[in-house]
Amino acid sequence: MTDATLMARYATGEADAARQLTTRLTPRVYAHALRLLGNRAEAEDVTQEAMLRLWQVAPDWQHTGAQVSTWLYRVTANLCLDRLRRKPATALDDAPDLPDGAPGAEDRLQSRARMDALQAALMQLPDRQRQAVVLRHIEGLGNPEIGAIMGLGTRAVESLTARGKRALADILAGRKTELGYEDD
Amino acid sequence: MTDQGKALETGDLDDLLAQARANPPVPNPDLLARVQADALAQQPRAPARAPAAPRSWLPEWLLALGGWPTAAGLGAVALTGVLIGFAPPDALSETLGIWLYGDSLWLDPLTAFDLTALEG
Repeated sequence: MTDATLMARYATGEADAARQLTTRLTPRVYAHALRLLGNRAEAEDVTQEAMLRLWQVAPDWQHTGAQVSTWLYRVTANLCLDRLRRKPATALDDAPDLPDGAPGAEDRLQSRARMDALQAALMQLPDRQRQAVVLRHIEGLGNPEIGAIMGLGTRAVESLTARGKRALADILAGRKTELGYEDD
Repeated sequence: MTDQGKALETGDLDDLLAQARANPPVPNPDLLARVQADALAQQPRAPARAPAAPRSWLPEWLLALGGWPTAAGLGAVALTGVLIGFAPPDALSETLGIWLYGDSLWLDPLTAFDLTALEG
């Protein structure tokens, strides 16, 4: 069932649609907010706020003609950027958690170190570059959808993601050994 | 290749991004509960089914014409008609007779004559 169908059902008062939308969309919103903010508590606040806005527009959703995920990514990013503008980025205090499936303690520590380093590097990028890199290379979205989210043309998205990726590589260049890539 | 180190760096970065993609952060169950509570609180109520109106035994066409007042009027008219049929007032009988048959009965003597002649 598509997100739009669930939204229509939600608007008619189906409680099950509310549950399905929550479990389907909240993790995506939270992951995106955490990548952009680097802070778990703030990411949770943004997630709740973005989802609240989704519930509030649900009765009129059919008239918007938008894709639910695109709309949500845009709202989430705007909420994150507002927070970042109000408060300059601080040092990373919460890297995304890893699920409990890592094979061993050593590998798990290594993975954790890599994710911490990646998140720290992401936080050094300009906000729009970070958003583009996260959407393209971590969320795995296509350039047209990223353009719709960021209000940019496809070429501008390509340019932004390419510059962001180069900047990430430069930031992480001196940490190969620390990240366990020396012997790969 | 002079930039062999940099090329390796790009491969490492792709690997790092792939790891991040494969391991998305998981939201706290408390957050999911809060979001779901908001969802249910903001959700429009399903339209309540209106209780069925008590059915009248008057036919629909009579209800459309006005319901009980119309039925009472029609009943009174019908009863009056029946009473007049059984015991018409004298004035009504005379008036009706003149209206129906005229001042006198019209006979055709010629027709009667012809019939008599034929009978021989």
